[in-house]
Amino acid sequence: MAGNFWDRYAREASVCHRLPTGLKLALTLTVILVGCFVPVEHWPVHVMLLSVVFAGQSLAGIPLAYLVRRLALFLPMLLILSLSLPLSHGGEAGWRMASTILLRGVLAFTTMLWLVNVTTTDVLLVTLRRYGMPGIVVATLAFMYRYLFLVWDERDRMIQARQARTFGKPTIDQRWKSGTQLIGMLLVRSLTRAERIYGAMCARGWNGTVHHWEPDADSPPSSERKAGSSDAR
Amino acid sequence: MRIRRRLQNGKRVHPMPVDETPSGSTPPVDETATGDVSPADSPIAESAPAESPWAIQVRQLNFVYPGGRPALNDLTFDVRVGEIVAIVGPSGAGKSTLLMHFNGLLPSEIPRRSDRAAASVSIAGIPVVRENLPDIRRRVGFLFQDPDDQLFCPTVGEDVAFGPLNLGCSQTEATARVIESLTAVNLADAISRSTLQLSMGERKRVCLAGVLACRPEILALDEPFSNLDPRARRNLLDCLRRFNGTLVLTTHDLDVVVEFCTRVVVLDNGRLHADGPPAEILANPALMQRHGLEIPFRLRT
Amino acid sequence: MHIPDGVLSPEVCVGCGVLSASAVGYSLYRLRDSLADRTVPLTGMMASLVFAGQMINFPLPGMPVSGHLIGGVLCASILGPWAGCLAMTLVLVVQCILYADGGLLALGANLLNMAVVNAWGGYAIWTVARSLFGKHPRGMVSAAVAAAWMSVMASAALFCLEFRLSWPGTEFDFSRIFGLMVLLHALIGIGEALITGSVLRFVLAHRADLIQMAPQASASIPASVGRFVVAGTMAAFVAAAFLSPFASEWPDGLEAVAERTGFNELQRTPQAFFLDDYALPGLPEQWSPLSVSLAGLLGVIVVMFLAWGFGKAWKMTMYSAKATDGR
Repeated sequence: MAGNFWDRYAREASVCHRLPTGLKLALTLTVILVGCFVPVEHWPVHVMLLSVVFAGQSLAGIPLAYLVRRLALFLPMLLILSLSLPLSHGGEAGWRMASTILLRGVLAFTTMLWLVNVTTTDVLLVTLRRYGMPGIVVATLAFMYRYLFLVWDERDRMIQARQARTFGKPTIDQRWKSGTQLIGMLLVRSLTRAERIYGAMCARGWNGTVHHWEPDADSPPSSERKAGSSDAR
Repeated sequence: MRIRRRLQNGKRVHPMPVDETPSGSTPPVDETATGDVSPADSPIAESAPAESPWAIQVRQLNFVYPGGRPALNDLTFDVRVGEIVAIVGPSGAGKSTLLMHFNGLLPSEIPRRSDRAAASVSIAGIPVVRENLPDIRRRVGFLFQDPDDQLFCPTVGEDVAFGPLNLGCSQTEATARVIESLTAVNLADAISRSTLQLSMGERKRVCLAGVLACRPEILALDEPFSNLDPRARRNLLDCLRRFNGTLVLTTHDLDVVVEFCTRVVVLDNGRLHADGPPAEILANPALMQRHGLEIPFRLRT
Repeated sequence: MHIPDGVLSPEVCVGCGVLSASAVGYSLYRLRDSLADRTVPLTGMMASLVFAGQMINFPLPGMPVSGHLIGGVLCASILGPWAGCLAMTLVLVVQCILYADGGLLALGANLLNMAVVNAWGGYAIWTVARSLFGKHPRGMVSAAVAAAWMSVMASAALFCLEFRLSWPGTEFDFSRIFGLMVLLHALIGIGEALITGSVLRFVLAHRADLIQMAPQASASIPASVGRFVVAGTMAAFVAAAFLSPFASEWPDGLEAVAERTGFNELQRTPQAFFLDDYALPGLPEQWSPLSVSLAGLLGVIVVMFLAWGFGKAWKMTMYSAKATDGR
């Protein structure tokens, strides 16, 4: 999996990218909160918020095709969840709930998508820490993010290797067995690697105290600097 | 962590005092190098780091893998300050295991100073005991074979800053060291790049920068040139040449050993079989064949 | 299952957020005692693994959807309850923030359902079950099967409760939808139980010392009582959820069962299974405490038998595999 799978457009340069991360987080939270508190009778509010978010997406340079693709992955589950209510018992109450869930769900999803694509993950982590996330959680989160792609690629390679030695369609029983073996192998390998990494951390003085590097204490926020440096290229 | 608990304690033999003639100065022989010293009861005497001419001293080091297989067998040798030593030998000879003793990563239970079975290894005159571990780790920079085992922060700058921050540097000092180390490995512009998108050569150099940022006196490198294309290998070699200290590395690349190293030791089955200048040791056909090596191209007539 | 924003009301989300924040905070607090220097690499790597492993497809016979690992009990059995809860928290946070899978407001509810119930609750059930099944590896695997199944059912039951609390005052009849939800998760739980058990068996065969990473169950009385209470509560939840479809769809059947087994205190109006306002979750006022705890016990016993059966079946497959390999 490419290292920029989620925040593919997070290193672009646009007005949205240059906003301070705290502000972007606050905006996202506000939109989601407003959308969830306003009852569905006032649906013009939801529509207006949704249009604001879509405008933000285009302002940030996120292509429409990408948005549609992500929505297409998300909508089916939401539709099943919301439509099961009126379909199982009919009535106005059911439809009202379904429409509420659909509207709010789509709004929240597109807003989060905007946030993720206008902020790089490391800056997001730093901002989360600044606003109160415990240091060890941020450190472990950063670690997880760093090794996620490695584990993912290893998993992909193992699946490819499995496919290369599968002739004909495997039965469900075989798929389950090889699937659990895959997870088991991945687990053993990943935790063995984690042991080696622990050794490397100790070799550079790690003793459990989490230190965070703050290179730009006095200079403008790093997201601005990143945008500036990408302009220079 | 489990590295410490799983691996057994090495067998301990009372090491020799520090002022005995080290085996490193004996001429090249293709038999087990024996020091002309007798075992004594005293542990390695601590001496002030600035005075000691010895970067690393190993005295009758024994180590057994979990499961019982012996890894290192009565090893004794020394490394002077400023030397560039290559440890070569067939796979499974114990090269990485030996190297990990220099940084206190092995054995899993480092003995305390008060233990009867005292340290078999000393760094700059300081015995490797539990009380001295932070100091030892600061003096010896260790580079693992797989850079992904060592590059564990999301961005390059954060990873290089990891060591200095753990050493107690302030944010400004850490930033200065980050810039200094990345410049030393020609990656000064990569400071905010993601570690996920580096080439193999770049990853190795960032790891080196991360280790250099701790300002070590000794670099212990485990197969630094593996998996590198020729240009990346050249880049790394240039960076290593600029290092002002003692270098110990394990490698299979014997041409680099001839080009770059001042001394080579041949390790096989946990014992030292030869020790001396590369041009002599690596040109000995019988020795090379006996230990699963080949004469490098540069020395072939 | 990740709850998107909009499904639960903001008030319920905030309430769940407070609960899960306290639980995660407590996990962090307990982690500080136990050698936090190992936590970062181990937990982070486990979280990456669970994240990647959750995407592996396990095809279901005849259905277009496929099964997936959730991983709560797996995390808890390898890392222990505190680090296991943290690992699942990280997975959910990353999924929410980066993948937009599961809403930001609903993150609290998702954490409660999946990190706290699956990891904490799963661990509690695992340790209790382990003392029943035995300390040997087979017992560990069987216990993990039971814990995985029950934790999935419990999180589904909890979700039903949260959903019901989110939409008060409507005329909507929730019982049918909850019945479907619980049955579905009973099936999903079987998948989770099988996958967790098999993976654990694999790890035990190759690197048993990894499983020992989990801090051994403390023998102190308050700790074991605490675990039993948690396990018992979850069992009660599961049993209550299990009985819900019977209560709503087949009222006659339930009455017949009640009369035959003497559960005379069971309420007569199954439609009101989930009342509009109850004092304690899962304990509607009409039910007597005795019948609830007996129902919970029944549920626990049923599941234990199932899990024991799984363990036996695997032992036989392992045996026959070894015989055919000629080892």
